[in-house]
Amino acid sequence: MCISTGRDLTVKVKPPRSLFLNFPMGNTFGKSGDIDTQTQVLRMALDLVVTARQAGILVDAPLQWPTPFTLDLPPANREEQLKK
Amino acid sequence: MEPIRYVDLLIERYSAAGFPPYEWSVNDDAPLTALEKPLSQCTVTMLTSGGVSKIGMPGFDPKARNDFRLDAIEMTADSRHFVINDSYYNHEDADRDINCIFAIDRLREMAGRGEIGAVAPRLWSGFMGRIYKRREVIEQAAPAFAQKLKEDGVDILVAVPA
Repeated sequence: MCISTGRDLTVKVKPPRSLFLNFPMGNTFGKSGDIDTQTQVLRMALDLVVTARQAGILVDAPLQWPTPFTLDLPPANREEQLKK
Repeated sequence: MEPIRYVDLLIERYSAAGFPPYEWSVNDDAPLTALEKPLSQCTVTMLTSGGVSKIGMPGFDPKARNDFRLDAIEMTADSRHFVINDSYYNHEDADRDINCIFAIDRLREMAGRGEIGAVAPRLWSGFMGRIYKRREVIEQAAPAFAQKLKEDGVDILVAVPA
C-alpha cells in the first residue's frame, strides 16, 4: 500500500494500491501534531487495502491542504549530481 | 489546487543542468494480492524513504547516490527519537513530528484500538532518493526486503515515499 504526495510519479510506477494526498511532500499524513488528520490518512490507506479490487488502483484522498504550495528545491548542481 | 507536476518540474530542473531527460520507471500493470483475513487480524508495518534515522545511528547522506541502506526500527521506538537528513523535500514539520511522514504513533494507536491486528516487530526506513540502479532494486533489494517482511509475518506494508 503506497501513500503518495506525487500523483504523476505514482501513476508511472503503478504500485498495487495507492492513496494520493494533494499535500506537500514532507506532509504525507498532514501537519505536525494533527493527530486526527494523520489517523484519517492512515485509516483511508488501510481501508483501501481491504476494498481495492483493481490492481494498480490510485485513489485521490478527499482532503485539501489549506494553502497553496510548490516544489521548493534549489537548482540541480551538475557536479553534485554526478558524484558517485 | 491541481497536483504538482513533479515529472515536468524535475525534467525542467535537470535539463537546465545539462542532463538528458530522466528515464522514469513505468509499469503498465501491477500485482494485487487480496487480503486473506480482516484488517483487525492483520500485521502491519511501514516504510519511509524520507532519510529518517534513529538518534544514535549515523544520519542518512542527503547527497548519496544509489544508497540501498535500510534500517530496521523496533516497533516500540519513541517517535521523538528520530532525525531527518534529506535535502529533497521540506521536513520542517516532520522534524517536529515524525508522524507527518512516518505515522508510527498512529499505527500503534490503531493496533491499540484493535483496528489492525498488530504492528510488526520491525518498522523500516531506507531506499532514500537517487537510486538509479533499477535492476538491483528489482532483483536484489526488493526481494531481500520482502523476505524480511515475511520473517515478521507482515500482511500489509504501508510504503510512504518522500
